[in-house]
This record gives sequence, C-alpha cells and structure tokens, in this order.
Amino acid sequence: MHLEEEQVQRLLHGELTAQAESDARKHVAGCIECRRRLAEAEREENELHALLRAVDDPAPPRISAEAVAARAQAGAAAGPGVGDLAWLRRAAAILVVVGIAGAAYAVPGSPIRKWVHAIVQKLGGRPGPTPGPAPGDSTAIGAGISVLPEQKLLILFQSAKGDGQIFVSLTDDPEVQVHAPTGAAAFTSSAGQLLIDVQDPSATFEVEIPRSAPWVEIQTGTGQVFLKEGDRVTTKGSKDAVGGYLFRLAPPEK
Amino acid sequence: MEPETTPSFHERFVELFDAHFQSVYRYLNRLSGDPELAADVAQEAFIKLYQRGSLPDAPEAWVISVAMNLFRNAATTRSRRLRLLTPARGEGVLSDPPPAPDAAVEAEASRRRVRSALDRMPERERHMLLLRAEGLSYREIAQALLMNPTSVGVLLARARRAFRKIYEESPDAP
Repeated sequence: MHLEEEQVQRLLHGELTAQAESDARKHVAGCIECRRRLAEAEREENELHALLRAVDDPAPPRISAEAVAARAQAGAAAGPGVGDLAWLRRAAAILVVVGIAGAAYAVPGSPIRKWVHAIVQKLGGRPGPTPGPAPGDSTAIGAGISVLPEQKLLILFQSAKGDGQIFVSLTDDPEVQVHAPTGAAAFTSSAGQLLIDVQDPSATFEVEIPRSAPWVEIQTGTGQVFLKEGDRVTTKGSKDAVGGYLFRLAPPEK
Repeated sequence: MEPETTPSFHERFVELFDAHFQSVYRYLNRLSGDPELAADVAQEAFIKLYQRGSLPDAPEAWVISVAMNLFRNAATTRSRRLRLLTPARGEGVLSDPPPAPDAAVEAEASRRRVRSALDRMPERERHMLLLRAEGLSYREIAQALLMNPTSVGVLLARARRAFRKIYEESPDAP
C-alpha cells in the first residue's frame, strides 16, 4: 500500500501531523516507489522555485512600515487608495466620453444624433433607420461607444496600421463598450455592426463584451481575431494576467 | 526586574510588515508582471491591515486575501491593464533574429518564458503556486482561495505539473 498523492505532498511541505509524518517517513524508508515519488515532487518544487525567480525584479521597492502606518493613520487625507484611484480614473474617463459625446451631439449634422435616435427608436420597439458609417465626425482621443450586442455583433477595426493594440475583457455589463484611451478613432454603429476607424497607428482600444452576449466577433487588419459564440471564445490573441485577451491591430511589420 | 510589556498594535504591525511585505510584493509582482502595481497593491493591503486596528488570526493570509481583491480591482483599470499583457503567441519571437548568447539576453528570454507560462495558467492554479512559493500553509492557501483544505496538496502537485507543461510548450522554448 503506497502513500496517497496528498500524503506525499503534505510530507514534502511539512503539512502532516507529527504522528502522520512519522508513519509516512517510516513507510518511505522502506518503499522504493514512494521514495521515488517524494524525490520527484521535491525536484519539481525546486525547479519551479528556480524558474519563478526569473520573473522577480532585482530591486524590490524600499517601503517602510512607518510610512505605510502614517498613510493608514492619515486615512482619506493621504489620498485615494488603489481601488479608489481605479474608480476615479474610470469616472474621469466616463466624464470625458460623456463630454465628447455631448459636444459631438450638439454639432449640426453630427451622426451621433442619428445613432441616439436609432437607439431611442429601438428601445421604443419601433424599427428605425440604421445610420451608415460616418467616419471622421466622432473622432476624439479618449472617445468610446456603447451598444447593446443583440443577437450578433461584428466589431470591425478599419484602417488598422502600426503597433496599436486591442484589449478585450468579458464583463457582466449588458452593453458592449469600446474605448480608445490612447489615440484617436471614429466610432460608427449600425445594425449588428460597430465600425472603428483607427486614425492613430499606436492607438490602444479596450473592448468590454458582456458574458451574456450571444455572438460577438472582432475583426482587425489580420482578419478575425476574436469570436464569442455563447460561452465559447475563439481567439488569436494571448491571454493577459487578469483573464482578458490582447491582439495587435495590424500584423507586425517585417 | 522590569515588567514584561506587551507590544503595542503599532509595534506588532511594524514587525509583521517587515517580515511579510517583501513576500506579498513578490507574490503580486509574479502574479502581474507589473512591479509598480505590485508595490501599490501590497502597500494598500497593509494600510487596510493597519486601519483594521487589530491583527487577524492569520495575518499573512489576511493580507494576501485583501491584496488579491485589491489586485483584481486594480487590474481592471484600463491604464494598468496595458502593462499586464504579454506578447501574442509566437509574435516577434519567431521573426526576430536569434539573440546573441549573452547572459542578459538569456535571462530576459527566461523571464519572458516564465511570465508567459504563468499568464497562461488557470487563475486558481497560478495563485496556488505563487502562494505556496511564498511559504503559505495549506490552511492559509485554502483560506485565501476559498477552497477545501484537504485537497490542497494534490491540487498543488497538479498545478506544478500544469506549469511545467505550459512552460515546456512555450513558443519561447529553445
């Protein structure tokens, strides 16, 4: 009777009770197979730790406990925390987008008016005319757009050149949101389609897709890079540290 | 003979900070690949501990749990996200000329390969490996990840093997 996997790992990590450890060690001393498994687990562990050290930064920050305690005591007066900063940045981005959208709406002949009317009509249950692409007018740095994904939505990045990137994340929000935190772009929506005319070769885009969206496709200069069908996601991008996806806007230049 | 004095909360906090800050920072840095974010989140977690006014039963696990939540929130911020990402599979690596065989280039290649393997791991397994690497006990890992403590060992072994497999299949592999 050999040790179970959990026992081997606990023996390796010193997680057994004194009696259980003593019993396990006696067994290992007389069992070639379990000795081999324990040695193998130890080798794997050492190898892993050596590899993890490769991603450590050589000079970790020198932050004193006293400084942190002082910040804690100062509380809100010391400024917002990480989470608060995140919220403030998000709020500021929303304000900028709302401001830009308002200004764009006020411009005579602006396509934003058509989109707003189309959305209002859709919400009212009446079929409305879908505005065609109208690149240029809604161009703004930091701008973005939100649409309900409905049954199918194609997000198409046009004129993609350079080293711009797209970050895609799945959210619990009901709307698809596309923002350009850096770089300028024109956003146009029509039935089942969201067109983004990329006007800055190094623009970065953030796309938030509702998990509930039945079908969303993203195309760039490299063709289809992302497809969400129900719960299934097919992607040509890489996964980031927080579970999102990254794509290039255009193929890398040779 | 002087009476023994109980250390104040502040003293205990300082002791705990000095013992564990680097560990929490290293864990977050390995998790995110973003030293600035890791330092911010680690500090914020200790600030929350100080503001709590008392030490929990398992302070390190508590700080790690708070740091994990802060990290999740912070990582959704757009500006931060840009720094958390790794190049697309095979991009650039295959098209570049072979690097000169010096130590710095090799170290950077190794770093990229490990980072890429970590990023590709399932979230829970990645957390498990990194928490264990910081010396957290099975009970602390189970607490931080809200999992059954009786199977932490088996899951750790699986996570190690998963990492190894992803690492060996990496497009950056020589």
